[in-house]
Amino acid sequence: MNLLKRLMKDKMAVASLSVVAATLLVGLCAPFIAPHNPNEVNMELRFAGASWQYWLGNDHLGRCVLSRLIYGIRPSVLYVLAALAASACIGALLGFAAGYFRGKVDALLMRICDCMLSFPGYVMTLAVVGMLGAGLENILLAFVLMKWAWFARVIRTAVMQFADADYVKFAKVLGAGHMRIMARHITPVALPEIAVVSSSSFGSMILQISGLSFLGLGIQAPHAEWGMMLNEARSVMFTRPELMLAPGIAIIVVVSAVNFLSDSLQTALDPKLMTYGKPSKAGMNTILPKLRRKEVA
Amino acid sequence: MGGYILRRIAVALPLLIVISFLAFVLNQLSPMDPAEVVLHAQGVPTITEELIAETRAELGMDRPFLIQYFDWLISSFQLDFGSSYVTGKPVWSLLGPALLNTLKLTLVSSAFIILFSIVMGVVCALREGGWLDLSVRGFSFLLTSLPAYWLAALMVWYFSVKLDLLPTSGMDSISSYILPVAVIVIGYAGIYFRMIRSSMLSNLNEDYVLYGRACGLSETSVIMYVLRNSLQVAVSVFGLAIPVILGSTVVVENIFAWPGLGTLTVNSILGRDFPIIQAYVLVLAAAFVLFNTASDIINAAFNPKLRKEF
Amino acid sequence: MNIKKGVVLLTALLAIIWLSACSAGNNGEGAQSSSGAQNGADVQSSAEGDSSVKEIIYATAKDINDMNPHLYPGSMAAQGIVYESLVENTKDGIKPLLAESWEISSDGKVYTFQLRKNVTFHDGAPFNAEAVKLNIEAVQRNASKHAWIKLSTMLEEVSVIDEHTVQMKLTEPYYPALLELSMTRPFVFLSPNDFIDGETKDGVKGYNGTGPYKLTEHVTEQYARFTANESYWGGEPKVKSITAKVLPAGETTLLALQKGEVNFVFTDDRGADSLDVEAMQRLVDSGDYQIVRSEPMNTKMIVANSSKQESPASDKAVREAIWHVVDREMISRTIFSGTETAAETLFSANVNYADIGLEARSYDPGKAMQLLEQAGWVQEAGSDIRTKNGSPLVLKLYYDVNSSSQKTEAELLQSEALKIGMKLELIGEESSSIANRRSTGDYELLFNQTWGLAYDPQSTIAAFAADSSYRHTTSGIAQAEQLYQMIDEVMVSTDEETRKALYRDILTIVHEEAVFIPLTNGSVTVVAPTGLQSISFKQTQFELPFELMYFE
Repeated sequence: MNLLKRLMKDKMAVASLSVVAATLLVGLCAPFIAPHNPNEVNMELRFAGASWQYWLGNDHLGRCVLSRLIYGIRPSVLYVLAALAASACIGALLGFAAGYFRGKVDALLMRICDCMLSFPGYVMTLAVVGMLGAGLENILLAFVLMKWAWFARVIRTAVMQFADADYVKFAKVLGAGHMRIMARHITPVALPEIAVVSSSSFGSMILQISGLSFLGLGIQAPHAEWGMMLNEARSVMFTRPELMLAPGIAIIVVVSAVNFLSDSLQTALDPKLMTYGKPSKAGMNTILPKLRRKEVA
Repeated sequence: MGGYILRRIAVALPLLIVISFLAFVLNQLSPMDPAEVVLHAQGVPTITEELIAETRAELGMDRPFLIQYFDWLISSFQLDFGSSYVTGKPVWSLLGPALLNTLKLTLVSSAFIILFSIVMGVVCALREGGWLDLSVRGFSFLLTSLPAYWLAALMVWYFSVKLDLLPTSGMDSISSYILPVAVIVIGYAGIYFRMIRSSMLSNLNEDYVLYGRACGLSETSVIMYVLRNSLQVAVSVFGLAIPVILGSTVVVENIFAWPGLGTLTVNSILGRDFPIIQAYVLVLAAAFVLFNTASDIINAAFNPKLRKEF
Repeated sequence: MNIKKGVVLLTALLAIIWLSACSAGNNGEGAQSSSGAQNGADVQSSAEGDSSVKEIIYATAKDINDMNPHLYPGSMAAQGIVYESLVENTKDGIKPLLAESWEISSDGKVYTFQLRKNVTFHDGAPFNAEAVKLNIEAVQRNASKHAWIKLSTMLEEVSVIDEHTVQMKLTEPYYPALLELSMTRPFVFLSPNDFIDGETKDGVKGYNGTGPYKLTEHVTEQYARFTANESYWGGEPKVKSITAKVLPAGETTLLALQKGEVNFVFTDDRGADSLDVEAMQRLVDSGDYQIVRSEPMNTKMIVANSSKQESPASDKAVREAIWHVVDREMISRTIFSGTETAAETLFSANVNYADIGLEARSYDPGKAMQLLEQAGWVQEAGSDIRTKNGSPLVLKLYYDVNSSSQKTEAELLQSEALKIGMKLELIGEESSSIANRRSTGDYELLFNQTWGLAYDPQSTIAAFAADSSYRHTTSGIAQAEQLYQMIDEVMVSTDEETRKALYRDILTIVHEEAVFIPLTNGSVTVVAPTGLQSISFKQTQFELPFELMYFE
């Protein structure tokens, strides 16, 4: 793919991509990589320092910090990615529908989008968590509820641009069905844009979910999560400052990698995306998702 | 222009109504029966089914759903959001001061974010590719990747405890602003700086710049034109940014014990104080729509072409 | 022209921002309160080395809230220094406070109090028999809220005999009457000038009590300042000013202590010790602070909802199993570094009537598994969680999100429980929400504590039957009706031996049923500046005698 090739020329992008990919891989294979059971309590090892058996030491319940860090990738990164994928799917589907069929479907969907978008990210998440109770799944639900509208907006614009393209018209003339046209012709064109939008909100979502866990609204014990680990470390910040380090650095590394990657993606797509020159609605639509990037954190 | 404003407001109104309806429905979904909560708050020793029914009637909860909604909407306009389940105080008496405190924090932070991102954005765009541009950009990436609470803990530790310069928390004096504002600015300036920069860059590549230079305009006046056009984007971006920042002070407020909306809401969630959560959602969503509308109108004032959009 | 507009707009925006930043001192109350805060800051900054500070600034996780002493939302620690009761509960029994002496009629129904003379409320109004009558009658007109205090259901009449003599008539003899009159609320006295239309139940105009401190300034959710009452009948307190500063528990409080922004911390109303034991020790090592611990005051426990039929918590075997998987010695040694001792029964032996030799259920996971097995909770092959008739052994445990020790205990218990095939879901909430769950029965397990020496056992036991307290905890057990009857009896019983026997039976039933699972014996912990002398405790975990403390 063209995009990938261009991306590969950028050293920074390659490095970030490897960091992200490695993180995902470690998270997926956590049971094979983690040296200990992350939930195994051993009060005798409470706050033990680093040792050959426990590389990063033990937390307030004597659990292995390294294993928790590794298992923490799942809720902190993998589940966020899953939520992102879910919202991208929903958004893409609705966005395609709106852009492709136009008319009333479009008007209605865009109204709903407007409505969803008028809830700032944190407000929506807090509303959902407030009504349904604290918990990782509720935050993820809020993410999906929030983000699909962004995807729908962006993808609708993309579809609008390309639905009039000659080759799509040609396919129509040839009698290809709606689904077929979408699948065969529009998806590949819109995919890079989806990649940009999702990568730019990915970082903010990681920060947001760990922030909410930090406040005690996210994941519930005993599951390991980076924000939660930081929260636990915070109560002993003076006596054991080292416990703040590992999860904090993990978040920073992953989020910066994601941000760099997203930036590189945008640069790679530059000719298509950089339409700021004419501040038309289409131009704004590509700015907005970027603007939302750090809505949280 | 007047017509445009009217049209824009005509779009915002139904949106507000839909949002208020959602906020109302959200509360209806909550697992607690408000009648029972009210009775408990009053400390009634034995709660019978009849008593609950009676209280429901008293609270007007036996009426048709839509009537309840309109009643609630009208009282919301009068800032009457009911009473807190926990303290029994009117919601607005808690939310109002908290909103004010959060607004102060947000406005001060936004001012610095705007200031920094415009200055840095313009400077970096004019020196595109230079060492300053590269280092500022790289640094901004790193800063936006920092978890706010981590950074906050670190800064409190260093500036308040180690150096003994600033208060650790609260909102006692002007110096209380420094740390929370710094954390918010660090988190956001990077994003908006990049936006200003790319907007400047794309403007610099426009034909009119070339034309202007070709016509012998001084570099300063060319840059002024570019700046003006870039600021158009900036205004709409910041119009959206302010409510986003307003919504996202949650974490920072909690760490610095800032007596604002974020602290109040998180405490309300952990204390299951639904009327406060509901009012929070309504007030912030309304603020967001209003800001949005206002920034569109301001934008249209800058750029007559946009007025035709509605 | 557009540029001009833009410039005007931006200038206006910036101007607004600067204005708001400049007026930012405090919610528009402007000069007074913000200068107050600055004074506070000045004093604070000198708090560290300088021992000449004459001020206590304590950290509290919650605002002092409504100080109306006839209702319950307010902070007890704050109400305790502003208001006073007729009598005081001390280690050596009931002692005079606002009443100098009293007589109880031979049938136990009429109490006659001689009031202390020359006592005035903070607003100058005299404290006399009339004020006592007005206060108690105002409380009684809102009796439904005070049902937990049995006295309020038995008080028939309050009459003024003369300026300084007041008489209370009860419908029947009630032995804990004086004890209940000694409590922080509701039978304490507010200046009648603060009543609204003769009532206190719908709010009051001011908070003028007779206590050693007056409330002089209160900024909601930020701080409350109390200053010494110069005309206090017991002599003006030596510490001139006490400030309650709202700070989130844990790290923020610790930082503020290090910095000197607050200089005093104590175990709060709900028993949440937010500070890590080791971190407190660090503060002491720094030389600026001292730690003072009271004798054990209460029992920290997990309360099981026996009345929730669909929950495993209604099964006695499950409750006993939980009892057996709590490793109290480990908790005491690791989480509390030995500062709290393991509790084997609901009330420790030093509580009245509680030394009845109940059998301890020791830490024994094997026994716990056996109990579950016998009760039909079986572990299918390949499954971690036991089931009975298809329903899994999963329970929700609610803990106070502000208490790091509760969270750690909960996590420890969670991992121990999982080993015997029981899944605990932990949910951290604000203490108000947990109290709400307790009274509505919307819980399976939750952390709680007995009410402290002044209230144990009689008030805590009365609360077993009260809807707003432990009704849901106890109403599911087999002998519930019998239990409630005995509780009613013991409260009105005048014969010491009968009382002893009844208490023995009551405590045995709840012990057998394992609805109150004890953890540790908690005490009140105070972290105070090294120079502060005479730090002592009351018979309750909810208040401190600030008026006795002084700086050296």
